[in-house]
Amino acid sequence: MFYVDLAISGIVFGCMYALMAVGLTLVYGMLRILHIAHAAVFALGAYVTVLVANASGSILIGFIAALIATPLCGVAIYRLLYQPLLHYRPDVPMIASIGLLVLMQDGFRILFGEQGVTFLKNPLAIETVDIAGITLNLAQIAVLIVTIIIFLALHLFTTQTRIGVAWRATVSNPRIAASFGVDAIRVRYLNFAIGSALAGVAGGLIALLNNFVDPTIGYVVSYKALAIIVLGGLGSVRGTLIASLFLGVIESYGTIFIGSYLNRDAIAFLALILILMARPQGFTGARTA
Amino acid sequence: MLNFGRGLFGALAVLISQAALADVKIGFQAPLTGLAATDGKSSKIAAEIAIDDLNAAGGVLGQKFELVTYDDQAKSDQAIFTANKLVGDDGVKFAISGSYSAAGRAAAPIFQKAGVVFISSYGVHPDITKAGDYCFRLVRLGPPQGRAAAYFIADKLKLKKASVISMDNDYGEATLQGFLGDAEKNGIKVVNKYNYSLQDRQFGPIVAGVKRDDPEVIYATGYFFTAGPLVAQLRAGGVKAPIVGSQAFDSGKFIEIAGAAAEGVYVIDGFDRYRKDSKLEHFTAEFQKRAGYPPEGVAAEVYSSFDILADAMKRTGSLDPVKVRDTLAATKDFPMLNETLGGFNKLHEVVMPATVDVVKDGKFVHFSTIEDAKVLAPPEE
Amino acid sequence: MSAYTISLLSIVGINVILAVSLNIISGFCGQISLGHGAFYGAGAYAAALVAIATRNLPLALIAGMLVGSVLGLIVGFASLRVRSDFLAVTTIGINFLFTGFVRKQGWLGAEMGISSIPASGLGASGNMIMIELFAAATIALSLYVNASWMGFAFRAVAEDEDAAATLAINGISYKLVAFALGTALAGLAGALYAYFTQFINVDAFDFITSVMLMAMVVIGGIGSTVGVAIAAIVLTLLPETFRFINEYRLLVFGGLLVLFISLAPGGLASLFHGTRTRLRR
Repeated sequence: MFYVDLAISGIVFGCMYALMAVGLTLVYGMLRILHIAHAAVFALGAYVTVLVANASGSILIGFIAALIATPLCGVAIYRLLYQPLLHYRPDVPMIASIGLLVLMQDGFRILFGEQGVTFLKNPLAIETVDIAGITLNLAQIAVLIVTIIIFLALHLFTTQTRIGVAWRATVSNPRIAASFGVDAIRVRYLNFAIGSALAGVAGGLIALLNNFVDPTIGYVVSYKALAIIVLGGLGSVRGTLIASLFLGVIESYGTIFIGSYLNRDAIAFLALILILMARPQGFTGARTA
Repeated sequence: MLNFGRGLFGALAVLISQAALADVKIGFQAPLTGLAATDGKSSKIAAEIAIDDLNAAGGVLGQKFELVTYDDQAKSDQAIFTANKLVGDDGVKFAISGSYSAAGRAAAPIFQKAGVVFISSYGVHPDITKAGDYCFRLVRLGPPQGRAAAYFIADKLKLKKASVISMDNDYGEATLQGFLGDAEKNGIKVVNKYNYSLQDRQFGPIVAGVKRDDPEVIYATGYFFTAGPLVAQLRAGGVKAPIVGSQAFDSGKFIEIAGAAAEGVYVIDGFDRYRKDSKLEHFTAEFQKRAGYPPEGVAAEVYSSFDILADAMKRTGSLDPVKVRDTLAATKDFPMLNETLGGFNKLHEVVMPATVDVVKDGKFVHFSTIEDAKVLAPPEE
Repeated sequence: MSAYTISLLSIVGINVILAVSLNIISGFCGQISLGHGAFYGAGAYAAALVAIATRNLPLALIAGMLVGSVLGLIVGFASLRVRSDFLAVTTIGINFLFTGFVRKQGWLGAEMGISSIPASGLGASGNMIMIELFAAATIALSLYVNASWMGFAFRAVAEDEDAAATLAINGISYKLVAFALGTALAGLAGALYAYFTQFINVDAFDFITSVMLMAMVVIGGIGSTVGVAIAAIVLTLLPETFRFINEYRLLVFGGLLVLFISLAPGGLASLFHGTRTRLRR
């Protein structure tokens, strides 16, 4: 039972990571920018969800507000910060991105307080469900379900719809796509909008899970999401999901069995480095991506 | 014209007298930005209230106190800058750290060398007081805190089988060592140890482990931002054993995050905030007004650091740091906001009883007091 | 000179060494590293242990350089396996692995850090002068390398490794040299830091530190030794100059970072030369 419990909590971790990272995958795949400020968009989503939910009395309205705020924020970041920097080496927009993360993170601290915010009412973190002897709270179940829905939807979108196919073509090879008449600029905006909306949902869900949002909530996302998209093979949505679940499960078992030698982050990065040494292209990346 | 002249003269006189009065500078470092900003903010507000109260009571030796605050981000190199700035540029003779261990540890030797009386309000690194005789600490060290927890579990709760969860920082490590060292002596069997880092908010694997251990009691160290989710997840996971938490659980935010799950959690070396005491009541009200949330243990410790320092100055009747240091070291039975300080030991570590709080109806209430001097004894060297 | 100024200048010097050394790896040779803090830390820990054991300053400094560069070579070998944007993340991993490892090692002081590091015996100002001399030497070395055949080879590797091969420049060995050199200097900086604070704990060498160093390189102008050195000085002193705004310091700092990169993406170097050469992606 213990091992099953660990596996389940690993999968919950994995879904959390998948939600944090999938938006970043979309951005990175296309623009090759290490968009570290994705973590700030994630934090924005978390704050908006909690604050609006508390003000309106409905968690759902909180999520809807986050779904409005984060794409706007993401598109603004692209337009104002990254677009003028696209012709520079990737470290240049990356540093701008880090500056923005510092700015926004500290902005949250000043606006919403050092102490962080909690949901006034969060039944999802308290109510539990027993499934075959495994106890999960509703927030965890929500994370699992939302992750499945999002990845399924992304899969269908990119394989079944015209715009989705164009989008995928642009992500994997912008030049060739352009020659087929795909408007790369519009796809970029779409990318940032969708990626940021996903970050917003992720932020809201993590806020539900933790029942707590503080200004440092984005810190873990800022580096772990990068590790995940690299492990997933950069720009691959499927790879991101696999890498997230893999790291989640590794961390879950690792916390118990090697936790007194290495902490959780170190375990994750050790796994990352070992895998990259064996498979430099990540889980799903092509060798010459 | 005459009136104007008199007015001007009056204003000048006030200015001059204020300049003369605003004389005793107290240097203060706190993590106002960065990862420890939560405690930094509480520290700063508590320090400001302390200064206002002391000045309202007439200052010391006819002089007013002036607070000089710098942000040290709880980092050692920043604390070295600010300590040097306080010593060199501001010329302070007295300093208080409302910051974490690493910052306090890095700053202590600088104050020691400059002959500045230095109090670390809640930094638990053992080497802070070892920097020398000018350095004091107003919080109990990690190891005796851990020993007190073991004693409490065995003596009060009469429980024998424990799972231990500790956080990865100097405070967590030191407290854990104290607990483990005394657990066996108290007849407590530690089934399993778990640790987590301060960024963690999801503790699924630990909850799974504790469920397997099926302990009679859980001892955990953590700050409110980890302790809140941890306790909530343990309870949501169906763990029913009583939870004994470390001092750093002490924050209203902990109860807010954990909600109903916080009920019945014990906090070792907590802050008995509803004690009938006019000074405490005044502080609580004032803090709530300025901060917008109730004070936690950290705030009380910072306030008391100023209070005890000012008291030593008054009793010395002089502002000579050497004399104030010696008076401070000889302080006996001083009423702090959280506990009555018995005194300082040779190393300038606090000797005082430990309050145990329990969460009841969404509030920290006093549960018992640990008096056993041997359990609580700070190290002598 | 006040103690405050001395401590500030000491850290300025250490940061100059760190930024200029990172520039050798990332600027000259094009290997983005976000894990410089690990080598800095490795040097600091090595020097601290040797300083405690031998009380010998030169020995401790050498130990710092040695351990920094050995670790750097290992990472350098690893870097050969992965392409450049993967390398950034791999080096983040090295940084987290380093801090995670040290946290659990009793002989490295674990969470408590190492606090009984003996003084260098030079006094605070002597210490500072030593640091500044090493900083100057690092700048000189970097300028020399850049002007030499090695610098040409580094740039060739950074631009296009395959094209470099046609000039008989072996990308592999030059990448390793850049890593070994850059990380040895980071180790030296760590050793100097250990003597400066006489107390080290692992938080001083975390990922955020590495990111700040990379920011210095980019703000200075990738590949420009002088620009990077100036950026290191400015970025260290800047937060100090607005100490008076206490809790708004980070906010302003982040804002200035964004603003500067937006206005001068080529870094300080591009402002001085008046050229806005668009760095190749």
